[in-house]
Amino acid sequence: MEDAAAAAAAAAAGPAELREAHRLTGHTDRVWALAWNPAPGPGAGPILASCSGDKTVRIWKRAPDGAWRCSDVLEDTHNRTVRSCAWSPNGKLLATSSFDATTAIWEYTGGDFECVATLEGHENEVKSVSWSPSGLLLATCSRDKMVWIWEMQPGNEFDCVSVLQGHTQDVKMVQWHPFLDILVSVSYDNSIRPKRVESLHPLTIDVDMAACLTQVWTDDGDDEWHCVQTLTEADNCGHSSTVWAVSFNHKGDRMVTCSDDRTLKIWDTSADLSQPNNGDDHESWRHLSTLTGYHGRTIFSAHWSSEDIIASGAGDDAICLFAEEKSNMVEGPSYKLILKKERAHDMDVNCVRWCPQDPRLLASASDDGAVKLWELRGSLLD
Amino acid sequence: GIRSTSQLIATAGPGDEWRRRVPTLPRGGGGRGASGGPEQPKNDVDFLEPSVLLDETHYQEGYKTGYHDGLASGKEEARQVGLKMGFQVGEELGFYQGCLDVWTSAISIDQDAFSARVRKNIEQLASLVSSYPLSDPENELVQDMMEKIRLKFRVITASLGAKLEYEGRPASSRQDVEDFPEQRRRH
Repeated sequence: MEDAAAAAAAAAAGPAELREAHRLTGHTDRVWALAWNPAPGPGAGPILASCSGDKTVRIWKRAPDGAWRCSDVLEDTHNRTVRSCAWSPNGKLLATSSFDATTAIWEYTGGDFECVATLEGHENEVKSVSWSPSGLLLATCSRDKMVWIWEMQPGNEFDCVSVLQGHTQDVKMVQWHPFLDILVSVSYDNSIRPKRVESLHPLTIDVDMAACLTQVWTDDGDDEWHCVQTLTEADNCGHSSTVWAVSFNHKGDRMVTCSDDRTLKIWDTSADLSQPNNGDDHESWRHLSTLTGYHGRTIFSAHWSSEDIIASGAGDDAICLFAEEKSNMVEGPSYKLILKKERAHDMDVNCVRWCPQDPRLLASASDDGAVKLWELRGSLLD
Repeated sequence: GIRSTSQLIATAGPGDEWRRRVPTLPRGGGGRGASGGPEQPKNDVDFLEPSVLLDETHYQEGYKTGYHDGLASGKEEARQVGLKMGFQVGEELGFYQGCLDVWTSAISIDQDAFSARVRKNIEQLASLVSSYPLSDPENELVQDMMEKIRLKFRVITASLGAKLEYEGRPASSRQDVEDFPEQRRRH
């Protein structure tokens, strides 16, 4: 017991460092994205999904001896690159979206994966997929400039709820707010658009999903979605080039975006845009801070951990970690670099994801075909 | 002798417009102002006029002929274009209407064949198709309306999991210029 305590104390002491813990190989092409299972099941360790240009999705699990193994390869479904993957909040379904313009839904019943549905509708490459916090809605976006919203029905049937047209270019990523019925989409047209759901049918809450906060709207069920705010360069201190990713913090009152313009921007998202506007007080999301000069190339991914550390991965092959600077509150919150891990991969870092079960465990994916697991050690305080 | 302009006009051929177009030349001197220098002899002015007016005649005749010919061939071309466009629009709308008729029949046989949401979308599509202004092709909203119809149709077929598509038009409903390749050829 003392050894464990001593080890933990040692881990928490010293300067912050990102230690490479594991290197997961197997994919035969660049790895585009990662997703940690939010609810692996009682007693089960963390489960990571990775998707690749080799048209497959791999599932990685930690073995009892601590080593990570590929437990499943999901193949023969997509016939082009799999670009993005996302687990449903209850951990039982995995959505994978592909350049073949489809999104496949896999059911994970503890042992095997089975493809139970295929969503078609986009005209070309699907870039991103995201589950709503209730687990009942799925959003996908594509190079066809549209965002499709699907609702899951009993029997793994999916109804198309709405198709959102608002971007004038390729939509790179969609991400739901952690608990509000707000969807954010980011694009090549340099804007970030949060969309509010006007109404939903009354929902029955599955017992397994009861852990998520679910908003229930009971008006006329029109499935009407509106873009309630657009964050642009001109009006909102937005990015000046392609926006690649967006991530919310745990509380949902902060959001980070990253871009081709090599900056990360932090936004105040405390305004509840899911509420119909009452007229006078035009609450909106606003820019808080811009982090410049830390990456020398396009920043492709950013992710906010439950301990409020922002990880970023970029075309300079590096990973950076940032945290809020608590001391200086005069002009509002600011963020500082904790560390930069140069040459984290041999090529572009496409995706970084914190593990929900262990907020010090970070996964990264790269053009070099590898997935790496990193441990954040040391003290984060100055 | 040389005839004056007014006499020429009186003896010119038919065509009112021709007469109106002839510029009225000032009499006696051509506006030299109050100071009044030596007056231009009327003869010079009248001497040049006939050739100028003759050019004008030819111009006018040519213009009329061209106009009439152009009107005739323009109408014929426009008729061809109209026929083609009308056919395309009609065919596409007809396709959607056909699908709607089948779906509506299915619903009347079995109410629960489709989900409530899909039924609502079918109703919306039916209303969009029937309100398309077939007799008003110059209505500037027609392009928008067609886009809405196409999108609604895709929403329905996506929900039904049906591989139905109107074959007559190109795949992308927005014929924008292809995205230019991004700096590092990323997707």
